[in-house]
Amino acid sequence: MVIIQETDFSAADLLAQLRGRHAAGAIVTFTGYVRDYARDTTTQTLFLEHYPGMCEREIESICATAQARWQALDTLVVHRVGHLQHKEQIVFVAVAGAHRSNAFRACEYIIDALKTRAPFWKRETLESGESFWVQQQSADADKTALWDAPSTAPPP
Amino acid sequence: MSGAEIKVLYFAQVAELTRTRQEVWPLATPISGRDWLIQLESRYPQLAPVARLKLAVNQYHIAPQHLIRPGDEVAVFEPVTGG
Repeated sequence: MVIIQETDFSAADLLAQLRGRHAAGAIVTFTGYVRDYARDTTTQTLFLEHYPGMCEREIESICATAQARWQALDTLVVHRVGHLQHKEQIVFVAVAGAHRSNAFRACEYIIDALKTRAPFWKRETLESGESFWVQQQSADADKTALWDAPSTAPPP
Repeated sequence: MSGAEIKVLYFAQVAELTRTRQEVWPLATPISGRDWLIQLESRYPQLAPVARLKLAVNQYHIAPQHLIRPGDEVAVFEPVTGG
């Protein structure tokens, strides 16, 4: 399931929903927060824009790939858009599986692929009032590419 | 939309630079994403260099050689930064 919303979420409630739907041996979750993006100054707020429709479809496709590749029972992604404050939650990813190692890999793959494929854009406003669009990190693109490189991919 | 047009969507920084979020462009015959970006740059020189920009057609990411066809929805954006 993929949910894009402006409001905050309860990671505990989302985890409980997933537990209610499956008798999974393992559920791995990832939560992303608004951090300080610049080294020497504090981020005040983030504005997240997205491409409605494509965003949901792209994340569904990423989750379907993860589910097939690591035999996951279920996946859940919640991503916020709009105005977010410093330290607020941005994204939640959960993967339910029979065993932990596949669930860990599927969860990491989903957030890696989301960061380079799902059409979201962050605009950051600093404490000083300065505002700019965040640039994609080449390290994120490189890490996502590793999942598709047979010789260097993490073990299956 | 008629058969000789495309719907163009601009997002985030690109929308700020073009000062519009959506418009209709004439397109009579298919054109590669790479060649279409060159047309985009002549219309909006402030987007240069356009080689960094990404395109989606009908809500799927495309490679620069992919053909844009009349009737398509084309989205233009900077590399994504979600998560």
